[in-house]
Amino acid sequence: MDQETLMTIAGYGKFFIILFIFVLFYSYAYSIYKRDKTGERDFEKYSNLVLDDSLDSAPLEKRETK
Amino acid sequence: MQSNAQIEYDYSVVRLFTFATILFGIIGMSVGVIIALQLAFPELSNLLGEYGTFGRLRPLHTNGVAFGFTVGGIIGTWYYVGQRTLKMSLSESPFLMKVAKWNFWLYFITILLAVVTLGMGYSTSKEYAQLEWPLDVLVVIWWVLWGVAMFGMIGMRRERAIYVSTWYYMSSWLAVAMLYIFNNMEVPTFLFSGDAPSSIMHSVSMYAGTNDALVQWWYGHNAVAFVFTTPIIGMIYYFLPKESGQNVFSYKLSVLAFWGLMFVYLWAGGHHLLYSTVPDWMQTMGSAMSIVLILPSWGSAINMLLTMKGEWQQLQTSPLIKFMILASTFYMLSTIEGPIQAIKSVNAIAHFTDWIPGHVHDGTLGWVGFMIMASLYHMAPRIYKRELYSKSLMDTQFWIQTTGIVLYFTSMWIAGITQGMMWRAYDEYGSLLYSFIDTVEVLHPYYTLRAVGGTFYLIGFLMFAYNMFKTATAGRVLDKEPANASPMAS
Amino acid sequence: MFHWLEQRPFFFAVVLFLTVAFAGFIEAIPDFAKASQPIAGLKPHTVLQLAGRQVYIKDNCLSCHSQLIRPFKSETDRYGMYSLSGEYAYDRPFLWGSKRTGPDLHRVGNYRTTEWHENHMMNPQSVVPGSLMPSYKHQFTNMADLATAYANANTQKQLFHVPYDQKGMPKLGSWKEAEAAAKAEAKLVAADMKNQAVKDAVAKGQVPEIVALIAYLNSLK
Repeated sequence: MDQETLMTIAGYGKFFIILFIFVLFYSYAYSIYKRDKTGERDFEKYSNLVLDDSLDSAPLEKRETK
Repeated sequence: MQSNAQIEYDYSVVRLFTFATILFGIIGMSVGVIIALQLAFPELSNLLGEYGTFGRLRPLHTNGVAFGFTVGGIIGTWYYVGQRTLKMSLSESPFLMKVAKWNFWLYFITILLAVVTLGMGYSTSKEYAQLEWPLDVLVVIWWVLWGVAMFGMIGMRRERAIYVSTWYYMSSWLAVAMLYIFNNMEVPTFLFSGDAPSSIMHSVSMYAGTNDALVQWWYGHNAVAFVFTTPIIGMIYYFLPKESGQNVFSYKLSVLAFWGLMFVYLWAGGHHLLYSTVPDWMQTMGSAMSIVLILPSWGSAINMLLTMKGEWQQLQTSPLIKFMILASTFYMLSTIEGPIQAIKSVNAIAHFTDWIPGHVHDGTLGWVGFMIMASLYHMAPRIYKRELYSKSLMDTQFWIQTTGIVLYFTSMWIAGITQGMMWRAYDEYGSLLYSFIDTVEVLHPYYTLRAVGGTFYLIGFLMFAYNMFKTATAGRVLDKEPANASPMAS
Repeated sequence: MFHWLEQRPFFFAVVLFLTVAFAGFIEAIPDFAKASQPIAGLKPHTVLQLAGRQVYIKDNCLSCHSQLIRPFKSETDRYGMYSLSGEYAYDRPFLWGSKRTGPDLHRVGNYRTTEWHENHMMNPQSVVPGSLMPSYKHQFTNMADLATAYANANTQKQLFHVPYDQKGMPKLGSWKEAEAAAKAEAKLVAADMKNQAVKDAVAKGQVPEIVALIAYLNSLK
């Protein structure tokens, strides 16, 4: 195979990889908005990590100790 | 929880970084003003012999502000934001404490050595990566130390969820590590010197010509991304909500903008090489991706502006909020300007002209500089346990610096477009209308304006340094840590 | 994804790294080998020219001068034939620059002479009134570092197989031979110069930076 064909194959490869990531990204976006709406999970509560950040306040989600 | 009652966040490393950030800010910006003046008044170029020429001073300016001031601000705020959002204290781990201290001192020594070696002319010539190989080794060491401290702190956290600011800091650490190492692949030439008494400081790049250019701008563009953009977004996601007491407008949006930015940013490096000898498809990809980049950039910026929803009166009452809101506005400006310059036909005019430094500076002065100063101001009452020294001084500083930035970028826009158009102007007989020197002489008023703008910014920065110094030494002592708005004496 | 990853900072970092690194690898790798082929007739720099190139880097000429002529009529009219990828095959590092405070220098050897450079580096405004360029008087008294230039050339030869010492290519040889050759080449350059101190130094077997720099600038064609 010459350089030209290799480049063409690589070109299509890249196109589909980008397409794949595009789909992945938007389905992820859709899923978090949906989960938030149905109340399955509250994503907005995480902004409290900033407002309530003193060392002796209770963690938002306590870490399980191993 | 009961065990936490005695522990406090440990800010000793934060204080060290705060000091270094301000010190290197003063050095880097002063050199910047000097070289701006040299372009307006060339007689100033030869005051210090070979050590005072534009060529020697420019890397001092770029490295001083990028690696001294900005990186200092980034790592310093990380040790603050990291501890607080992870709910762990550095004082809980003597090991991490030691790592953080070493991180600081090696960083500090490296930047000092950089000032000396660059001044002497030891340079690999690659922009923003001029440091010669022994210093590169030092940089890698303290960057790894920062990584150890970061992941160590994450490993010790009490809070399971990791706040989005930390994601941005992590991305910065990872990406800069990768970019820096690949771009600085170099061979010290003394290894092959035979019996020639050669310098041990010299090295050659592992890549040649076009490949070297490709790697350099892959680095150059993304160093901008992961030094001047992502960690600063990390800062604003913490400091703006905290200072204003507001929840982030949409945490979901912040997460999406994060992944979008991560994926798209690296594709855009090719736009520095438009019309050069790199392959066409790569140039086109660089252009296209630069435009796509507007989306995630504006996602974060708009998220920040909307965070202030219903609380806009704070803009009047708090100069700190003013700094941060103007910073995100400048972020929007420079992230729309960048993609415009990456359009091939615009780039044909803009490349090699002063529009490019103009673009860099509305981002760095407006966005990076303002955000770092605002963050340090916000941290000051917490790390020194004192009230901010002067609100009116802060207000004055804000207006002086804003004027400076506006003078800077407007003059450079005009200079760049003027010169770009003059280079390509033909007369009616089809010969070039202007000699090169014509296109230089026309820039004199703009170079002068730019130097004035830069001086304004520097004056504002000195006011900032003074205000911070007085806060740390003479501010009213606070009996308890402020929750949101930073207390300031009028 | 969100939930799972954020509890595992290590995997989070890996995913993040792949996302970030992806573009770089896809963009850079396929063209790497192709872009490094030299054009026919390209010769690597001699030791003296390399020493001059180091002066060019040391005084950071590239902060104001590009070495890249773009394929526009306004640029080819001003600077000459547009640049080709293969012309840079032996450039380590590349010196394209990113800002033209002064004009492009990729083919400056075609239209400037040793004498012009000598006057210009001593006092730019005497040759180009209105120039912003600083004077580079120190290059007339500082000596060029031939030993490091030799080490540089030898590294390129040994490690990157740059064709020194091959038929029709510049000779490198041992450090003694290379030093003698560089000094002989310096004498040729100095013959066209008029600064007496420089001429005396070269006659004594020294090589001031300016001589090396001019040898390098003259080689840019």
